[in-house]
Amino acid sequence: MEKDILQEDAQIIVIILIAILVLLVMAGALILFFFFSRKKISNAELEKATLALAYQKELLHTTIETQEKERKRIAQDLHDAISSKLNVVSLSTNVLIDGQIEQEEEKETLHRILDITTNTLESSRRLAHNLLPPILENFGLQAAIEELCDEFSSSKKVTVSYDISYQDSLSKNDELHLFRILQELLNNSVRHGKASSVDLTITDTDVLSLHYVDNGTGFDINLVGKNKGIGLKNIESRVEILEGSIDYHSTPGQGAEFNISITHS
Amino acid sequence: MDFIKGFGYVATFLLLVNAILYIKILPRQGKVFTFFTIYLIGVLIIQVLNNVLGPVLHLPNLFLSNIYLVFQFIMLSLLYQKLLNFKPILVIGGLVVFLLMLQYSNNPELLTKYNVIGLSSTQAILTIYCIAYLFTTVNQKDPDLLVVNIGLLLYLVSSTLIFASGNLVFNLNIPKESYLLLLKLNAVLYLIFQILILIEWRKIYYKKMLKSSS
Repeated sequence: MEKDILQEDAQIIVIILIAILVLLVMAGALILFFFFSRKKISNAELEKATLALAYQKELLHTTIETQEKERKRIAQDLHDAISSKLNVVSLSTNVLIDGQIEQEEEKETLHRILDITTNTLESSRRLAHNLLPPILENFGLQAAIEELCDEFSSSKKVTVSYDISYQDSLSKNDELHLFRILQELLNNSVRHGKASSVDLTITDTDVLSLHYVDNGTGFDINLVGKNKGIGLKNIESRVEILEGSIDYHSTPGQGAEFNISITHS
Repeated sequence: MDFIKGFGYVATFLLLVNAILYIKILPRQGKVFTFFTIYLIGVLIIQVLNNVLGPVLHLPNLFLSNIYLVFQFIMLSLLYQKLLNFKPILVIGGLVVFLLMLQYSNNPELLTKYNVIGLSSTQAILTIYCIAYLFTTVNQKDPDLLVVNIGLLLYLVSSTLIFASGNLVFNLNIPKESYLLLLKLNAVLYLIFQILILIEWRKIYYKKMLKSSS
């Protein structure tokens, strides 16, 4: 009898032990859940960081590509507009030094040399101007943009109408970025879009906003999203440097529209 | 019996080692570590007194469990208030200590006994803090005392039930061996808790070494 009571009481210990075990298992499950969640969160963060890194890499790649393209263009321009012309001048001068030509022919050669040097001078001035327009430095962004638009208009290929009210809200460096963006947009409209008219509006109140529309051939946004040209990538990275935002709409055959806003820093 | 004693002594020794190690790194750590180190030292003193009074001097040592429960609750409440940065913990702490005082003044005899309600309710509140800390640190990179928190959670969860069954076991006619099983389990869990505290210290120490060498 006494043994039975003893055994009954001992049962309580077993129950307590089981309860402790259950509680321990539950606490263990909680800790495991905690560690798995931690791992998941850190993995998600890692993925985010990898994506950001990939984007930065792409940006760097584009920058280098743009730089190389620009170098190639400058080299080509220098070769075509200056080196080859100076070569002709050098040859003609050699002929003159030799002195084995008629006086009239000599005069003609001198005139040709003068023509070529005048042209070359003009070419080098234009080249320098394209690299960094002096007007931007001397008269500011508004005048530079107006001149840029007028230059494109005077080529007779495209009519650029503009309405610009810029309040000097950007730093000199940022002004150059905005100028380059416009240069790229106009170049794209003429070269790829074959546009005949472009409308440009810039307002500058709390936010500097640029509205650009052309009537060119346009492009398929879905295709562009996958494989952006260097020009468009260049524009996007410059907008990013300006800490602004860009959105564009276009349908093939119906021109393109760009909106860029930059908050004043 | 020897088995429990052995585990108990190893755990107490480890507690002593932990207390010394945490005191050594204390000057360069924040308030959180101050509370934790005071907790370790306090528990160590109670543990040593417990071993001296009971087994050596054969004097009643159950009153120490009351000191232990109040001290543990106050120190860990302060610790978790800092860790969770949650002011209401202080209010809850104050309220619970007030209720405990009320309980002891109403029943002074309880001071020489095992306060089952006090012990289990304070441990349950501390368990909630442990779980709350576990959840708030889920997205933190390297939270303070994370390993200690896990050890404390495991120990509190299981010991609450062991302590709660303390008086029950005294009143029932239970063979001593069966009850000793519970004490063994408690000793093993306490040892695990101490090992985790040591692991945490190692983590802090190596982090400090890395910082000073870089």
